Amino acid sequence: MSEKKKWYSLDLGLNRKKSDTTCGCGKTEGGCGSHKPEMTDDAFLEAAVNASIGEEVRKDGFEQVFDVKMDRRSAFKKLTASLLIGAGAVSTSCSVISGDDSKEKAQIDWEEQFKGNYKLMNDDEKKATVDRLMRSYELRTGKNISMTAENAADDVLFGYAFNISKCQGYMDCVNACVEENNQDRDSQMQYIRIHEMKDGKGFNFNEADDNYYHEVPAEGHFYMGTQCFHCDNPPCVEVCPVSATWREDDGLVVIDYDWCVGCRYCMAACPYDGRRFNWSKPEVPEAEINKNQHYLGNRMRKKGVMEKCTFCVQRSRKGQNPACVEACPTGARIFGNLLDPKSTIRWVLENKKVFRLKEDLGTEPKFWYFMD
Amino acid sequence: MNRKYDIHILACTFLVVLFSCKHSEGEYHNLNDKIEAESKNYHGTAISSEGLIDGVKTVEITEGEHTFLIPERKSQIKSFACIECHNTGLDKLQSKDIKKAHWDIALAHADENTMNCATCHNGDEMNSLHTLTGNKIDFNNSYKLCAQCHSSQFEDWKGGAHGKKVAGWAPPRASYTCVNCHNPHDPGFKSRWPSRYNTEQVEAPQAESGH
Ligand code: SF4
Ligand code: SF4
Repeated sequence: MSEKKKWYSLDLGLNRKKSDTTCGCGKTEGGCGSHKPEMTDDAFLEAAVNASIGEEVRKDGFEQVFDVKMDRRSAFKKLTASLLIGAGAVSTSCSVISGDDSKEKAQIDWEEQFKGNYKLMNDDEKKATVDRLMRSYELRTGKNISMTAENAADDVLFGYAFNISKCQGYMDCVNACVEENNQDRDSQMQYIRIHEMKDGKGFNFNEADDNYYHEVPAEGHFYMGTQCFHCDNPPCVEVCPVSATWREDDGLVVIDYDWCVGCRYCMAACPYDGRRFNWSKPEVPEAEINKNQHYLGNRMRKKGVMEKCTFCVQRSRKGQNPACVEACPTGARIFGNLLDPKSTIRWVLENKKVFRLKEDLGTEPKFWYFMD
Repeated sequence: MNRKYDIHILACTFLVVLFSCKHSEGEYHNLNDKIEAESKNYHGTAISSEGLIDGVKTVEITEGEHTFLIPERKSQIKSFACIECHNTGLDKLQSKDIKKAHWDIALAHADENTMNCATCHNGDEMNSLHTLTGNKIDFNNSYKLCAQCHSSQFEDWKGGAHGKKVAGWAPPRASYTCVNCHNPHDPGFKSRWPSRYNTEQVEAPQAESGH
């Protein structure tokens, strides 16, 4: 697998340790001279820098990072990588009290920093990054999460239908979405919007009330929800300068949060206001974190990346309905496989008078509206 | 020579036509074409809902061309079997002195001219329901009573446009039946406060101006 990697990776010897659990001294954990030299911190740091930089000392910063000899069997090989990753990692590695954990953390950070675009990864690489993210979470919080990287299944194309006559504006879907997708609890971000519209005015988004807070349904009003429509011809995907967002084979339009550079082009390109940008790192109380995660779905995002509805990829690829569909008490939300002629979503499309928003744009949303 | 030329043109045209309809390459004129073409050879998916509905006791029903599972009802009714109390005629059970059984049930379904308890409950055989014409209906099939009046909802429910699934989207289909969402004695959805505040858009000024 490592020969076939599409990006550079640094082997700190940690991976090798799994097959050959001994070092020179025969011990598996720290405690022998080659793991933790007993020197003063300063002397140790100097020795480490000399040993790790060595002949690379004349090279430029960039080359120092990328031309490191990978097979050096020196006592400082773990330190080398730590130094390269950053000052924080240096102090951890040089600290006599830091154990293998912090070194492993540094190794994971490195691998994560220089991994490739998820879209281009093969299954082994996907599994590797998911394993790293789970391990990293465990190292940092002491808690376990379960993250998967299921691919799109054959013969599946997800579609969604929304019954405007049924929606009462209860907002249960939004609550479920925020909890399911580990959205920031403080910010105002919601993937789903419920618009309160006046009867007799049609879909007038300019006059719709998106901030209502009164008993619902309000007299003389109707409600409709919008979110990412998972367009089959998505303009948001076209504009991404780094290919951090794409359409999967089962029709889900997804984002690699680690590849997104936060330029927000896609947000501007989406005609449906389907995308959300996070201006701060999503914070969720530990007890409320949904630990069933998917790489492309509800895993914890970092600050400054694009997010949006994924039709709950972590649920839908396991056969479950998205959280909003499950939470809706009125049955206004219908989800299913467009390729299954016997599915209920197909029955809706074939038997109800369905329409989509801004159909003339040719974006082909896979999100239909209908009425009783 | 001319003939050969013609054949060339024909062959070229044929090739152009062949490649402009790129159906085999997974490109379609529109989404409907794609759905139609790709579902022609649909043989089911590897994903199943079976595990998700494991904990729910279900019964299979067939209505018209639709066959699917609905939750079993009788084991969910707390006071079933009804004949444990209703072992004699209603007239003999009635009395003025003791507190009424089913005191907590107030019928808020149509009006008195249209419905009373006996419209659905079978007075002759309390363990079951009956239709308007007096045919016996099992509690598990209570949807058949609703369908007598609510025929358009019934059509939508059979197809899947009305109501909810028990668990997942994947086959086998398991749909909630009428009484799983509607209280048959008071079937309407109530007005209430939304479960959360519909927050302002994070970037309200910029995003709004675009509309
Ligand atoms: S609704 Fe917007 S974000 Fe979602 S796929 Fe379509 S263009 Fe992209
Ligand atoms: S914000 Fe991220 S996903 Fe959107 S266009 Fe920019 S890089 Fe691509």
